[in-house]
Amino acid sequence: MASFTLGKYLPYNSLIHKMDPRAKIIVMMLLLCAIFIPAGFIGYGILVVIVTSIVLVSKLNLKFVVNSMKPMMFMLVFLLIINILVIKTGPILFSLFSLDIYLDAIMQTFYIAIRLLLMIMITTCLTATTKPLELTLGIEDLLKPLKVVKVPAHEIAMMISIALRFIPTLIEETERIMKAQASRGVDLQEGKIKEKIGGILSLIVPLFVSSFQRAEELAFAMEARGYSPGEIRTRYKQLHMKYGDYLAIVFGVLLNIVMLTLSMVF
Amino acid sequence: MSIEFKKIDYTYSVNTPFQFVALKQIDLNIEMNKVTAIIGATGSGKSTLVQQLNGLILPTSGQLIVNDFVINANVKVRNLKSLRKNVGLVFQFPEYQLFEESIIKDIAFGPKNFGVPEDEANKIAKASLKLVGLDESYLEKSPLDLSGGQKRRVAIAGILAMEPDVLVLDEPTAGLDPQGAKQMMELFKKLNTVHNKTVLLVTHDMEHVYNYCDNVVVMKKGEVFLNSSVNTFFENTTYLDELNILAPNIIRLKNMLKNHNIDVSGCDDIHSICDKIVKELK
Repeated sequence: MASFTLGKYLPYNSLIHKMDPRAKIIVMMLLLCAIFIPAGFIGYGILVVIVTSIVLVSKLNLKFVVNSMKPMMFMLVFLLIINILVIKTGPILFSLFSLDIYLDAIMQTFYIAIRLLLMIMITTCLTATTKPLELTLGIEDLLKPLKVVKVPAHEIAMMISIALRFIPTLIEETERIMKAQASRGVDLQEGKIKEKIGGILSLIVPLFVSSFQRAEELAFAMEARGYSPGEIRTRYKQLHMKYGDYLAIVFGVLLNIVMLTLSMVF
Repeated sequence: MSIEFKKIDYTYSVNTPFQFVALKQIDLNIEMNKVTAIIGATGSGKSTLVQQLNGLILPTSGQLIVNDFVINANVKVRNLKSLRKNVGLVFQFPEYQLFEESIIKDIAFGPKNFGVPEDEANKIAKASLKLVGLDESYLEKSPLDLSGGQKRRVAIAGILAMEPDVLVLDEPTAGLDPQGAKQMMELFKKLNTVHNKTVLLVTHDMEHVYNYCDNVVVMKKGEVFLNSSVNTFFENTTYLDELNILAPNIIRLKNMLKNHNIDVSGCDDIHSICDKIVKELK
């Protein structure tokens, strides 16, 4: 649990950390778009290189990426089996017990795996290099134009920021309750299935109770300080786009164009 | 029968930016069948220390011996459950671990996990509830409907029901009213004297240390600063000054009287001190 890095801000000092959160969000969106353009081997090769270098520039450890893939292995294996059974195009690679395995089935699974990996890398990069507060400000600013069509930009941003803020708290709470129940003999690692289910219940119920309590307390605390979502308020922290930020966005757009061209050529 | 820490180190989040050394070279012997207080400033490693005791966190280096159970750093530990049966750990704010629909079920949860049959566990649960000072009318109530202090009692009963030899409590009186805190401390003392249990408790309250404990372990910045009997600790004012701890009221009163040349040595409670003062002033 302690190695849970997804969505956690890591306080390094890097080029990516210093970027404007709005630019980072836009670039992330553009990169995510690029991932879903089917541009074949060359396209994914380019993307892997780019995304890996972004991760390295942010001074993040590549090991966590590998770790974050582990829980998805089961899904990927499942997907591989389905693909092998369903996809019957392309040349036959080999036969396994009278079951023909086609190249496309393997390729499809591989592409999905790469896409998932890249998505995790990109989103982790965003959350690990941006303070939750900055992220919220960025989201709020980006949603502002939508106010015309009555999208509650500030409320959405506030909800996201509260959700992000409480992820580490919830993890801490879970750890604490897990330990408390472990000392009452709950064994989530080695016990029998029936015991494990009981053990999970002993974890979930207290977690729910304390989450609801915490939500209520937070709501009271916000109200006591006069929080009202519709109010117009000024900001202490102002965001400023710099030259590099614009450059990054332009780069993101270019990348999409390259991917599109690649997908049309191949 | 012993609890020994041998050169134990513990580091949180190794190899991340959050790396933090919580325990440094802990060498410590805990006397059995005594009440030992663990004190120290916040962040001095008290909670980390007590969590080592039932293997919730394992040392990064060193060796821990609890009775005949040995934990070596970097060696996979088997059968932690038997250690956890021997050492009952009550966390800070244990009321958050309650989850069953009735109090009796919640208290019986621990013993059942350790293989005690259902009716036996229920019997123990009833006895434990009585021990913490709640009557049988509570048995079928939901633990979530109780007041904070009552929840705390039920949670502690849940640990007592496991019938551990060693009872470890992390700030058991935090957030309780003075009356409730006093009852709690008296319960722990009773568990020690009547039921022969070894009690370790983390606390910030020097009155509690003075009135209910035999030994005291002082933690400072992840190291054991001092391990001595409570009397030696409070007699030596240099320790108290260095640690910036305010001595219990009665000790301060005695020191003040000493400065006014009234000899009260040998008087340990307020009544005998009063008698002495009256005698001196006559």
